[in-house]
Amino acid sequence: MSAFTNAQHQQKKYYRTSRLTLKERDSLFGYLFVSPMLIGFILTVLVPLGMVFYYSFQTRNMLAQTWSYAGLDNYAKLLGGDPIFSKVLGNTLIFTAGLVPLNVILALVLAVLLNRLMHGSTLFRVLFFAPVVTSAAAWAIVWRFVLQGENGTLNSILGMAGIEGPNWLRDPNWAMFSVIFTRVLKNVGLNMIILLAALQSIPREYEEAAQVDGATVWGRFINITVPLLGPTLLLTTVLTVVGSLKVFDHIVLMTNGGPANSTMVLVNYVYFQAFKVFDTGYASALAMILFVLALGATVIQWQLRKRFIYNEV
Amino acid sequence: MYHDFNKKRLVVLFFTLMLMVINVAAQDNPIVLRFTLWIPVDSPRGELFAEIAEEFSAANAGVSIQYDYIPFADYTTTLPLQLSGSNPPDAGWLTENVAPTWVQSGILADLSASLLADEAYDFADLAPSAMELWRSGDPIFGVPFSTSPFLLIYNRDLFEAVGVDAPDVMIENGAYTWENLAVALKTIREEAGVAGLQSFNGGLYSGERVWHTVIPLVRAYGGDAWDADNTCTLNSPESVAGLQVFHDMIFTDRSIEAPGEVVDFYTGSAAVLMGQLSGVGPLAEASFDWDIAPLPDGAAGRASVVGQAAFVVFNNSPNRDTAIEFVKFLTNKENTLRIARYFPPIRVSVLETDVLLTANPTIAAKSMKAAVIDATLSGRVLPSHRNFPTIDLTSRAYWDQLWSPDADVQLVMDEMCAAIQPLLSK
Repeated sequence: MSAFTNAQHQQKKYYRTSRLTLKERDSLFGYLFVSPMLIGFILTVLVPLGMVFYYSFQTRNMLAQTWSYAGLDNYAKLLGGDPIFSKVLGNTLIFTAGLVPLNVILALVLAVLLNRLMHGSTLFRVLFFAPVVTSAAAWAIVWRFVLQGENGTLNSILGMAGIEGPNWLRDPNWAMFSVIFTRVLKNVGLNMIILLAALQSIPREYEEAAQVDGATVWGRFINITVPLLGPTLLLTTVLTVVGSLKVFDHIVLMTNGGPANSTMVLVNYVYFQAFKVFDTGYASALAMILFVLALGATVIQWQLRKRFIYNEV
Repeated sequence: MYHDFNKKRLVVLFFTLMLMVINVAAQDNPIVLRFTLWIPVDSPRGELFAEIAEEFSAANAGVSIQYDYIPFADYTTTLPLQLSGSNPPDAGWLTENVAPTWVQSGILADLSASLLADEAYDFADLAPSAMELWRSGDPIFGVPFSTSPFLLIYNRDLFEAVGVDAPDVMIENGAYTWENLAVALKTIREEAGVAGLQSFNGGLYSGERVWHTVIPLVRAYGGDAWDADNTCTLNSPESVAGLQVFHDMIFTDRSIEAPGEVVDFYTGSAAVLMGQLSGVGPLAEASFDWDIAPLPDGAAGRASVVGQAAFVVFNNSPNRDTAIEFVKFLTNKENTLRIARYFPPIRVSVLETDVLLTANPTIAAKSMKAAVIDATLSGRVLPSHRNFPTIDLTSRAYWDQLWSPDADVQLVMDEMCAAIQPLLSK
C-alpha cells in the first residue's frame, strides 16, 4: 500500500517537472533511438556527399593543397573535352546493361530450380553461393588462367570441339564480355539466395489452385511466381544496378581497364583522377555524375514498381 | 563525507596536472619526426633505419624519429591524404615515377641550403645524373638513396637444358644482344615449352609496367619516349626499330610472354624476368640455378635504365628544418655506406668500394658488378613528365594496339605521338 502511494507520488512529481506532452516525449524518445544511425548517416554519407558536390565546382589539387573556384569548368571539361570520359561512361553503361539482366535472370532461374527440395539441392545452393564469399583476388587469378588466349582452360575445351576461342581478356571485342561474365558468376549467388528466400515464402496454395484450374508450368511461373516475387526482384535489381555502377576491384584485377581502355569504368577513372593526377575537383565532378547515374537508375526503377508490383505492402 | 571525497579528488587532479606540466617542461618541447616508408619497420632493412634514427636522436637532444609503414601498393594514395590531414608526416620516401608531379606541386621542401652548406656532406659526390629528377633549377627536392638498375634475372637451368648460351656466356663472348637473346629464348620456348622473357615484374599487358619493359629496348636502339624539349620521339626510326624487335619477339619468335598468357618466372614457367635487384629476394630457396645479367645491347649499344627511391621532406612539416637535418644525416657518407647493403646508392665514392659487390651472398661479384654497379653509374631514369599519369593513361590505347600480331609499329607510334604530344606540350 505504501509502495503504491510512493509510486503515485513519484509519478505526480514527474508530471509536474516535465514540460513535454506525452506525444512530444514519444517523438523525443523516437529521435533519441534513431539518433546514432542518423548521426552516422549525416557524418559518413551526407557531409562527404555535400563536400564532393562542393569540390566539383573547384579546381582543387589534393597534393599541392591548392584550390580555387572554378564554376562549371569541371563539368564543361567532362561534357566537352575529355575523350576518356566519354569512353568510360560508355563502358560503364555497357557493363551495367550487360551485367544486370544476366545476373537477375540467372539468379531467378537458379532460385526456381533450387527451390524444390531435390537430392543435392543444398549442395548446389552452397556451390552457387560460394563465389560470393571468395576473395575477389583469388577469383580473378583463377579466371585469368582459365581465360588465357593460348593455354587457357576454356580455349582448350573449345579447341576439342574444333572452335578457336579468342584471347578473352586481351581482345577489345571480348574483354568486356569476359569481365561481365566472370562478375556475374561471382555475385549471382547473392541474388539467388535472396530470391530463394522470397520463393519459399510464397504459399503453395496459390500454385496448387492454379494447377487445379489447368495452368501450365510456364503460365504459373509468369502469372503467379514472378508477380509475387515483384518486391524482391525490384530489390535485387536496384542492388545489382547500383553495385554494377560502383564496380572497381574486379576490373582492376581482371584487366586493369585494358585492353585499349575498353573495360575502364567510371569508378576506375574517378580513382585515377583523384589519386594519380590528384585533380580532386575533376574527380569530384566525375563522382557526381556517377551519383546522379545511380540515383537516376534507382528512381526510375522505383517509379516502375507501380506498374509491376501488385502486392506492395 | 561527500565534501571530503570531492576535495581528495581535486587534490589528486591538481597534482596530476602539475606533474604533466613539469614533465612537458622537462622534455623541452620534444620533436617527434614522422617519417613514412614502405618497408616494414621490423624487417632487417627497417632495423637498420631504426639504428640510424637512434644515433640521430642521441646527437640531437629532444628529437626522436617515428617510422610509419605504409604498404607500397597504397603508398602514393595514402601519403597525400595524410599530408592534407591535421598531423602530416615530416619526411618520407618517394619513387622516381611520381617525382615530377610531386616536385611541381610545391609539397616538397627545398633541401639545397642545408646540403650545399656542409662541406663534409660532399654534395658533389652524389652522381649528378641520379639527381636530375629531384632538382628544378637550383632547389633540391630529394636525395635518392636507392638507384636500382633494371636487369634480367634468368633461369640458367633452362638455358643449359636446351643447349643455348646463357647471358653470362654471351657476355663473355661479346655476343650479348637483344637479337641473340631472342634466338636463345625462341629455342627455349620451342624445346622446353616455357615462356622466354617475362616483362618487367610481369606488368606489361596490364599497363602497369609498360614503360619499364619497352624503354630499355627503345633506348638500346637509340630512341626514347620524348626528348628534352618534350617532343614525342616514339615514332622516330630508332624507337620504331627497337619496338619492332620487341614486337617480333612477342609475335614472330614468341620469345616474350604473349598477351593474356599467365607466366611466373619464380615457378619456372619463364626463362628470364626483367626486374630489379629486389626481384631476387624470393629466389633464395629456388629449385633452379639462377643469376642476374645487365640489359642486353641493341644497335646503339647498352642503355642502362634505373629506378629510384629518394628521401624527401614535406613543406608543411612543422619541424621542417629538423627533418631536413635528418635526411642529410641519412644520406651522409657513413650512412650511405650502411644503407648500401640493401639499396644501391648514388654516392660515387660508395659505388667504387667493394661493399656492393658482396652485399648479396647469393649473387656472384662479377654479376653484381655488371648488372648493378656499372649499370647504376651509366643508368638513366625512365622518361618523366609532370603530366605523366594522363600521358600514361592515354598511351594505353596505343600500346594495346601494338600488342596484336599484325600491328604496324610505325603507324601505331605515329598515332601515339599525335595523341600524347598535346599532353607533353602542356
